[in-house]
Amino acid sequence: MTYALTITHLYPVEMNIYGDRGNVLTLCKRMEWRGITANVVDVGVGEPFDPSRTDIVFAGGGQDRGQVAVGLDLQSRTDALLEAAEAGVVMLVVCGTYQLFGRRFQTLEGHDIPGIGLFKADTIGSTQRLIGNVTIETRWGPMVGFENHSGQTTLDPGEAALGDVIKGYGNNATDKVEGALHHNVHGTYLHGPVLPRNPAFADHLIGTAMRRRYDVELLEPLDDTLERAAAKVVMDAPR
Amino acid sequence: MLLPRVAPTSDRSRGTRAVVANGVGKAVLNLRRLTRGGGSALPGLVAERIDPRMVSRLVAQLPEGVIVVTGTNGKTTTTKMIVAVLEAQGKTVLTNRSGSNLSRGVASAILERSAWRGRLLEDIAVFEVDEASMPAVCEQLRPSTVVVNNLFRDQLDRYGELDTTAAVIGRAIAGLDGSATVCLNADDPLVASLARYGDRPDIRWFGVDAEGVERLDHDAASDSDHCPQCGHALDYTKAYYSHLGHYRCPDGHVERPTPELSLTSFESIDVHDGASRLTVDVEGDSISIVLPLPGLYNAYNALAAMCAMRSRGVALHDATDALSHVTAPFGRVEHVDVHGRGLRIILVKNPAGFNQIIQTFLGHPKGTRLMLAINDGLADGRDLSWLWDVAIEDIAPCEFVLCTGGRAADMALRFKYAGAEADVVPDMVEGIAELLRRTPEGEEAEVLANYTAMLELRALLDSQATLKRFWQ
Repeated sequence: MTYALTITHLYPVEMNIYGDRGNVLTLCKRMEWRGITANVVDVGVGEPFDPSRTDIVFAGGGQDRGQVAVGLDLQSRTDALLEAAEAGVVMLVVCGTYQLFGRRFQTLEGHDIPGIGLFKADTIGSTQRLIGNVTIETRWGPMVGFENHSGQTTLDPGEAALGDVIKGYGNNATDKVEGALHHNVHGTYLHGPVLPRNPAFADHLIGTAMRRRYDVELLEPLDDTLERAAAKVVMDAPR
Repeated sequence: MLLPRVAPTSDRSRGTRAVVANGVGKAVLNLRRLTRGGGSALPGLVAERIDPRMVSRLVAQLPEGVIVVTGTNGKTTTTKMIVAVLEAQGKTVLTNRSGSNLSRGVASAILERSAWRGRLLEDIAVFEVDEASMPAVCEQLRPSTVVVNNLFRDQLDRYGELDTTAAVIGRAIAGLDGSATVCLNADDPLVASLARYGDRPDIRWFGVDAEGVERLDHDAASDSDHCPQCGHALDYTKAYYSHLGHYRCPDGHVERPTPELSLTSFESIDVHDGASRLTVDVEGDSISIVLPLPGLYNAYNALAAMCAMRSRGVALHDATDALSHVTAPFGRVEHVDVHGRGLRIILVKNPAGFNQIIQTFLGHPKGTRLMLAINDGLADGRDLSWLWDVAIEDIAPCEFVLCTGGRAADMALRFKYAGAEADVVPDMVEGIAELLRRTPEGEEAEVLANYTAMLELRALLDSQATLKRFWQ
C-alpha cells in the first residue's frame, strides 16, 4: 500500500521570517524517509482552501504587517477551521498564527485583532519582549526552541497547554506553561524551527495524520542522533 | 568606565570643556592601542559622557560634510568603495574603517582623527552606520548624503522586525537637513518605501535592469515582498534575489521607481578570485567597469557607491578606476594559506547574504570541500532559525561538508533535511584540523562562518601556536 498525506502551508509568504518553513520541510522529509508521499499545498491570503480535506495544516510567524492581513483572512475561514479541528485534522500553528488561533490579539497600540477562538486564549501586546532559548516538558518528552514574542498569551483555566516550561518564558512571563493543545491542534511560540530538533513531536503529528487517513500509526523509527545532538545544545545553552 | 557625567555648563565654559573632553578621549584611545589594540568603541563612550555635542562640532568643520551608509548587507564594502573614489579624487577622508558602526564607534573614529585641540583636517567623512543607530548618528552628524542599500532580516532577536528597522531609518531620514540627498535602492520595496519619510526633494535611485540574472531555485529569503501599504503580495516581473527585483503592488499602491543609475549587464568573469564586469547606464551614457569583487550583491554595493558619488558631482568615468582596484573588507572573502591548503573564508550573517554566497561560489558542481563555522553568540543573533531559510538545497554536491562551532549540529541538521550529509565537529580547533586532514596539500577549501565564529576562526588561524596544534 502506498501512503500519501497532504500538508497545507497557510500564509507561506505573509508569515515567513522566522525559518518556520523548516517545519514543513521536516514533515515532508520524515514522511519521505518512510515512503509516505507528502503533497504540499501553499495557501495565501484570499486563496481557496478546505481544511477538512487536508491532513496537516501548518502556519508560522511573521511581522505585524503580515499578521494584520492574515488576521482578516482567517476571519473568513473561522467556521471551516473550527469544524476541521473538531473532526481531528492535525494542525501546527506557530507564534503569530498561534496568537490568531486564540480569541483576540490586542496590540501594544491598543488595536484589537480578532482571532478565530479555536484556543480559549487571549493575547495582549507587551513592552517586554520575551526572547531566548526555551525548554519545555511535554507528553512527547522534553522539547526545545527559541521564543521571540511581545504578545503575552493567557489560556483560560482548563485549556490545555502544549507543555510546562523548564527554561525560558512560554506563553507569558508568569504562567510557566507553553503553547496550547485542542484536539489535534497544536499552538506554540517555539521557533528554531520547532520540528527539526523535536522529532518525537514531528512524528506525533505525522502519526496522528496517518491514523486518521489510513488507520495505521506504526511509523518506522528513524535515526535521530543528529536531531538529539542539536536539541541538547539548546538544553545546555543559557536562556 | 566609571567617569562621572559632567553636568551641562554655561556656553562660556563650553569651548574649554570641548578641548578637555577631546584630550581625555584621545588618551584613552592611545592607552587601549598600547595595551591590547582594538577597543574602538571605548574612546567614543568616554567623550560622549563628557560633552555629547563635541562630535557634532567636530564634524561641522568638515568642508564637504558627511556621507552615511546604512542597510543590512554591504555597508562596509560600500563605504570602502566611496572612500576609494573620494581618495582617488585627491580628497582626505575620515571614515570608520573598522566596521565599528554604532554611534559610539562613529564617535571613536571622529575622535581618533581629531587633533588634540579638537579639529578635523579631512575634507569629508564617510561612515557606515548600523540601522538602529541611524536616528542618533544623523542627528549628531547632519549628513548631506545618506545611502540605504537593502533591508533584509538580520538578527530578529536583537533588532526586532524588519518593518520596525525601516521605520527607525525613516525617522532618521525625516530629520535630515532639507538640502540632504538620499540614495535608495529602487529594487528593494522596503528601502523604496523610505522615500515617503519627510518632504525630501532629492532622492536618487539606483537599481538593476540586467537580463539573465539567475535566481536560486530555493531562495526563500524574501522578507519584504508584500506591499508596504496594503500588505498584498507584490507582483514581480524580475526577481533577482531575496525580495530584490522589479515589483508592483496589484492594487497600484507602490511600483519600483525607475532608477537614474541602472546596471544593464552583469557578468561574472572570475569566480575563483572574484571579479565581475558591470555595465552601468546613467542618463544615456554607458559605463563599463571591471569590479574585482564577486556576485550581484557587490554590484549593488558598487551602484550604491556610484549613486552617492554622482550626487556629489563626481563623474562616473572618474570613479571607475578607483572601483576597479577596491578590495573586499575583513572576512567578506579572504584567501588564507594554512599548511599549503588554500582556504577561502567568507562571512555569512543572514539568509540573503548566505544565498548570495551560495549563488556566487557554491552553485556549480566542482567537488567543493566545505566547512561551516556557526556560533550563537550575542553578536551573531542567538536565534539560528534563519538557517532553515537558506537555500542549502542549491549547494552543488560537495566532496565533504564539515560543521564546526557551538551550533554545528543545527547546521548539519539543516544539511540533513536538504538531503546532504554533513559531519559535526563542534570544537573549532578540531574542526580546522579535520578540514586540513581532508584537504590535500595544494588544494583548496571553502570556509563559511558567521560573525563570532569568524573572529574565533581568524584568531586561531593567526596564531602560530594553534597552527601547530592542528597537526597534533
